[in-house]
Order: sequence, then C-alpha cells, then structure tokens
Amino acid sequence: MIDYLVSILTEGVIFAIMALGLNVIWGWSGDFDLAYYGYVALGAYMTLVLTIGPPTQPTTYILGLTLPFPIAVIIAIISSMLLALIVGAIALRHLRGIYFSIVTLGAVYVLYIFAGQFVPLFNGYNGLSGLFDPMGDFFHIDFASYGFYYLGLCAVVLIAVVIMVTRLNTSRFGLALRSLREDERAAAAFGRNIYVTKLKAYVLGAGIGGLGGALFAGYLSAFNPSAWSPVETIILYAAILVGGRGSTRGVVLGVAVMVMGLQEATRYLPEVANQPSFAPAFRLILTGIVLVLFIRFRPQGILPERRLRDEDPAGKSGAAAVAEKVVTGPSLDTGVA
Amino acid sequence: MHQALLTLGFALVGASILALSALAFTLEYSVTNVANLSHGEILTVGAYCAYLVQQHGGGVILSGLAAAAGGGALALAVHNGVVDRFVRKGIGGLPTFIATLGVSLVIQNVLVIIFGAANLGYSVPQSPPRTVGPFLWTDTEIQIMVSAVVITALLYVIIQHTRFGKSLRAVSQNRSLARVSGIKANRVAALTWVLAGLIGGYAGFILAESIGTFSPYSGFGFFLITLTAAVAGGLGKAVGTLVGGIIVGIALEFFGGYLSPSYNLAFAFAILSLVILVRPRGLFVGGRRSIFE
Repeated sequence: MIDYLVSILTEGVIFAIMALGLNVIWGWSGDFDLAYYGYVALGAYMTLVLTIGPPTQPTTYILGLTLPFPIAVIIAIISSMLLALIVGAIALRHLRGIYFSIVTLGAVYVLYIFAGQFVPLFNGYNGLSGLFDPMGDFFHIDFASYGFYYLGLCAVVLIAVVIMVTRLNTSRFGLALRSLREDERAAAAFGRNIYVTKLKAYVLGAGIGGLGGALFAGYLSAFNPSAWSPVETIILYAAILVGGRGSTRGVVLGVAVMVMGLQEATRYLPEVANQPSFAPAFRLILTGIVLVLFIRFRPQGILPERRLRDEDPAGKSGAAAVAEKVVTGPSLDTGVA
Repeated sequence: MHQALLTLGFALVGASILALSALAFTLEYSVTNVANLSHGEILTVGAYCAYLVQQHGGGVILSGLAAAAGGGALALAVHNGVVDRFVRKGIGGLPTFIATLGVSLVIQNVLVIIFGAANLGYSVPQSPPRTVGPFLWTDTEIQIMVSAVVITALLYVIIQHTRFGKSLRAVSQNRSLARVSGIKANRVAALTWVLAGLIGGYAGFILAESIGTFSPYSGFGFFLITLTAAVAGGLGKAVGTLVGGIIVGIALEFFGGYLSPSYNLAFAFAILSLVILVRPRGLFVGGRRSIFE
C-alpha cells in the first residue's frame, strides 16, 4: 500500500513539473502547443541514452554514455530546449491560433515517427531501458527505500520549479508575456518584441518539460513510443484547464485532481473480462468530458489566475503590481484565428 | 515509366479517399469556423458501422450506407452537442478547437471499450486486380474511385444548384449577414455537418476497405493527412480542398512507393508546415494573408 502511494505521488509530482512547463507556454504566452509532449519525450530519451551505456546487440541507439544522472538531466534539458528553439522559431514567427497548433502537432508527429521507425536513433518501437535507481549507489540507498528517496528528489525539483515560475510570474518578463497573451497588438505598440518574447517562453517551457521527462525516465527506468503518444499532451492541458490556466497553484491542484485523483477514482472499477484497456479508456473518456465541460462552463478553472493591477504610485510600494482580490482568469481565446 | 503509371493508379485510389475526407472537413469548417479535431472519429465510426453491417451479412452497398449514416449521426451529435453550443455562446475558434480534441478522445475510447483496441478487418472477397488502360485495379478500388467521383459531383450540384447550397454558401461567407437575411444559420450549419458526416463516414469505410484493417485510432491518423490536404487547398474552400486532396494524395503515394511508407505521415506534415508557412490561405488563393498573421 505504502509503495503504491509513493509511486502515485512520484508520478503526480513529475506530471506537475511537466504541467508547469506547459503552463508557461499556454497559460502565460497563450500558445496552444501540441508538440509539448515531444519535449518531454526527448528529455526522457536523452537521459536514457546518456546514462545506460553502450548498446548491446540487437539494440541500437545513439551516444550510449554512462554519465552521472544530474549531468545527463542537464544535457537532456538543453536538448529539449534546442528542439523547441527550432520548432518555435519556425512556428511562432507568423502563426497563431489553430495554425500554430496544427504545425506543432505536425512537429510532434514527425518526432514520434522518427523515434518509432528510425531504429538507430532510440532503438525504434522497442525503446530504451536500463536506468535503474539513478544515483542510488552514490548515496548508498538500498532497493527497498529507493522509492522514498526518488519521491523526495522529485519533490525538491518541483519546489524549485514552483519557486522559479512564481518569481518569473511577477517579473517583467512574466508581465510582458501575459500582456502578449491578452493583446498582441497593444503589447507590440508598447515596444515589446512579440516574437522574441514568445520564443523565450516557448523554449523555457520546453526546458521544464524536458526536466519532467528526464525525471520520468528515472522513475520508469525505461522509455519507448508506447509509453508516450502525442495525445498525452491533452491530459496535461486538461489538468491545467481544471486547475486554473496561468495560475501556478491552480496547475498543481489540477494535476492532483486530473492525474492522481482520476487514477485513484478509476482504480476500483470492476475488472471487465477480456478488456484490459477498460480502466485507461474510461479515464481518457472522463478526461475528454471534463475538458469540454470546463471550456464551456468554467474556462478560468478552479483556482483562477489572479489579475495584477498597478497600485497607487503614492502608496508605499510605488507602482509595483499587486495581486487584485477580484479573480477573472485569462480569456481562453487569444483573439486570433 | 510503367512503374510510375502503376504507382499513379494506386495514388488515385488514395487521393479519392483523401479528397472525400478533406471535403467533409472543409464543409465543417466553412459553416462554423471551427477546425474539427474529432473529424477523424467520423471516419472511424463509419468504418465500425460498416463492420457491424457486414457482421450481419450486409453487402458492400449496405455497408457503405451504414457507414455514411453512422458518420452523419455522429457529426450531428458533435455539432448540436458541442460545437453549436460553443459558437452560440461566443466561445472562439481556438477554445472550440481544443474542445473538439476532447470530443475526439472520448469517441476513440468509447470505441476502445466497445470493440477493443485491436485492429479489425472486413471479410470482403478480394477479386484479382484487372488491367484498366495502364493501371492495375481491384474491383474494390474501382468502386472506391467511382463512388468518390459520384459523391463529389453530387456535392457540387448540392452546393451550387440548390436552395440549401445557396444558404450554405451564405452562412460560410458571413454567418451574421446570412441570419439577418432570414437564413436559419444554425439549421444550415447542422445540415451541413450532417452532409459532411455522411461523406466522412463513407470515406472511413472506403479507407478501411483499401487499407484492409482499422482500429479506434486509425481515423485520427488519417485525419492528420486530411488536415494537410484541407489546409493546402484552403480551409473552408471546397474546390481548392478537392484539388489539394488529390495533389497531396498522389504526392504521398509516390513518396511512400519510392522512398519509405513508414515516414508518410512525416512527409505529409512537412508539406503541411511548408504550405502554412509560405501560403497559409492555401495554394490556390491569391493575395496576401489576412485572417491570421
């Protein structure tokens, strides 16, 4: 029982990290990016090829190094960011709205097909495996208590990410991003470089996604194309939408509800004969229904993003922005296409 | 040369299916301004409806009709249940687009629960291919192409020469203006989605016929190619979409035949990205882009 609890918590913490990265792209910058899970997957793949050592026949993959886990994670994050830089540089230049989504959907499918079909890259559909208990030897942690240790590690990373995005949220960069989301033309009129600002956010978000993917690889100890599909992104979107798009607390809550809560709620479903995929399918149906209902009836989510307003310059904190008590949340439609 | 002609023969079959699917998608888009991400599921449901009829001993014609009916019913349900409510509430194109992705997820997994996730196939007796001019086609492939041409011609007549077609064009041009002119825009949109669903459901059936197998996910995979054809032809523009479907279908078959079929989807998306970046309003539309920049 306790093992189960640890494993579901670890999964939730990792998904929260991924969702926070996506929140930078969709929540703040306002781009409905369908390629996001590609960055998560690349992070996971890169972590594996950098740590599990050279391939043995008949498997083939690139690199095959035995770097320490933290260094591999950093390189994995950088790879995800580089990929995002390429995709974002192309897609964000002129495209918004559904056209941006369609191109990013294309990008992630291309990655998915190459990961699956081009065997020398990441061993095709059989995928990679062999990353057992990263850093366990280094800290002399025995097998039994390793789960707790890894949960702790992920939780520390999550806290670091939360602190980072919270600080970023009220920074000038964060404010600039959300001004773009609300009205690109107005932001451009105030001298913002829309393309560069959006691209920065995109690359940053993808980096957090890559970090999530790297931790996911350490948790699963293996990764292959059946462990991810481009549609996984929609689960993260559902979590963000339910929690509150743009709101850090909301996103963490959303992951707790949509990933961990849903998993728990469907756990006691009766086993259906000859239907091993019943529970996961049922979970996805619920996810889809919740997504539609939230867009229709509560697009700002459970814990909406707090609007910022300028305080009276005569006040003690000058013109600093403070959180307003009235909550509205971002509008879902960015006004284009 | 002979090899190229043979490939062209297969390509025409693929292009017929793609053109129908893309036409249905573009019809949906034209009256609601919503890119329906659950369009692929209309095809999938069509394929499963035809499968059920075949299981009970129905022939090809009955299966095709059942596929169309299933697709039409699903399209009507998605339109009246989700899209129309969102459009009327004033929820914009992008959020509705996201919602249709949710709908797609629901339908796929309902099919998984009912039929299982494994591949299914029809038990159609395969006739040996016959030589038609320089081409080599089976009876099924000839049926696919002829029916696609007939359906396209019918659609053309409906859009250009009926009262309903006139209202359809009016709603797609300007919904508000159409409404103040006394056209019941919601009704026209619903009927257009039914029409698109009929075509899409049938396209799903012939897609499954030509590939041989289908699963709850096959419609979504084909939808990605449909999207390429529809965007290349110009979203919401019927004639452009038809041409786009034929060109993309033929290009894909040649790519698959001469290079590698595994990377077909990647190739489709390369075309798509290129088109969106260079000519986002479609290949056949002049002038500068205006609706999104």
